[in-house]
Amino acid sequence: MGNAPAGRRARGSLESEVMGLLWGRSEPLTAADVQSAIGGDLAYNTVQTILIRLHEKNLVHRRKAGRGHVYWPVEDAATAAAKRMRAALADPVDRHAVLQQFAASLDEDDAATLRGLLQP
Amino acid sequence: MNVAIYLPLLLALPLTLTAARLAARGTPGLIARGLTGSAFVAAVSSTWSLVLLALTLLDDLPPLSALDDHPTLELPEPVPGPVALLAALLLAWGAVRLVRDIHLRITTHRRLRAAGTPQDGLVVADWSAPLAVAVPGRPGHLLVTSGILRLLDTDERRVLFAHEHAHLAHRHHRLVALTGAAAAVNPLLIPVRTTVAYLVERWADEDAAAVVGDRGLTAKAVARAALATVGPGPKAALGMHGGAVVNRVRALIAPSPAPRRGRLLGPTLLAAGCLSATAVATAEFVALARAWL
Repeated sequence: MGNAPAGRRARGSLESEVMGLLWGRSEPLTAADVQSAIGGDLAYNTVQTILIRLHEKNLVHRRKAGRGHVYWPVEDAATAAAKRMRAALADPVDRHAVLQQFAASLDEDDAATLRGLLQP
Repeated sequence: MNVAIYLPLLLALPLTLTAARLAARGTPGLIARGLTGSAFVAAVSSTWSLVLLALTLLDDLPPLSALDDHPTLELPEPVPGPVALLAALLLAWGAVRLVRDIHLRITTHRRLRAAGTPQDGLVVADWSAPLAVAVPGRPGHLLVTSGILRLLDTDERRVLFAHEHAHLAHRHHRLVALTGAAAAVNPLLIPVRTTVAYLVERWADEDAAAVVGDRGLTAKAVARAALATVGPGPKAALGMHGGAVVNRVRALIAPSPAPRRGRLLGPTLLAAGCLSATAVATAEFVALARAWL
């Protein structure tokens, strides 16, 4: 049903995946960490290039560690974004306009059902 | 000028009553498009009916009464006065609701867009609430919180990105906006709006499952993100009720659905019925106006 064939990544989605990973982990990561976490057929050089690009764009910090660098996300822009996102969602918003979100709020019964469904 | 003009006002009802059942089977994209199309037709024809009904009030206005060529010719009263007045009031109420709906939607999207400058199609908000939103625009981007990125593992994050990208790629906000506008002018269509909002989530789930190639993983990611909103902490003040997520996860655990075009027969017939009734009512109205002038 999708327009993009399965397995092919959308434009910019590799960068998004790397940013998602750096945000998802609490500790700074090396290029090798990123490569093994994202896995697949991703070449080390590709990961390196993406990290350098993200650093040039001021989206990630880096410092020397051993022979390479470790990387972690820059928080300033994200803190500002969080403030504005919170403010936007705290006001009366069009619920249907922001329905397009991944999760939803659950009550305990729904949660119990979901946990049941997740049991193998 | 009787049956045909009232018919479109009622034809939204069967659509409303069957929408949820229609959504239960078949590919979500097909049903979402079909429901949106027929809701749009139903809203336009019911609004046009109200316009025609309200226009019959005009013959009582002094400047138009003066135009009456046949003061002696007694035409039957086309529509009882109170009905025409009620139609005018409903029309005004619908217009107010429509303007409010559009305004709120534009404001919400603008504020979400203003949250940050997207880099590679992504804005991260450093907030523990597990939220992710597809922000439409040209080209559109994702707005996700650090909370949801920390919650999910690498594979589940791929599901999340694929899900939100599907919303953007298929321009789901248009379907949601169309059914929102339809429900604003014709509140009978509110359940259809809810169903379409659910279907676009299902659609994005199916797309994400196809991209990552794993329905079970997709089900797990959706369920884990939803479960994180239980208990104390910043509740998602928005979003769908939990029952919808349970259904989404159930559907992902089941095999992928087959398209069932036959399910669109009902909505298509209803839309055709609306259009024919509207055509007949319009012709009758024109004939009446001619006779009267």
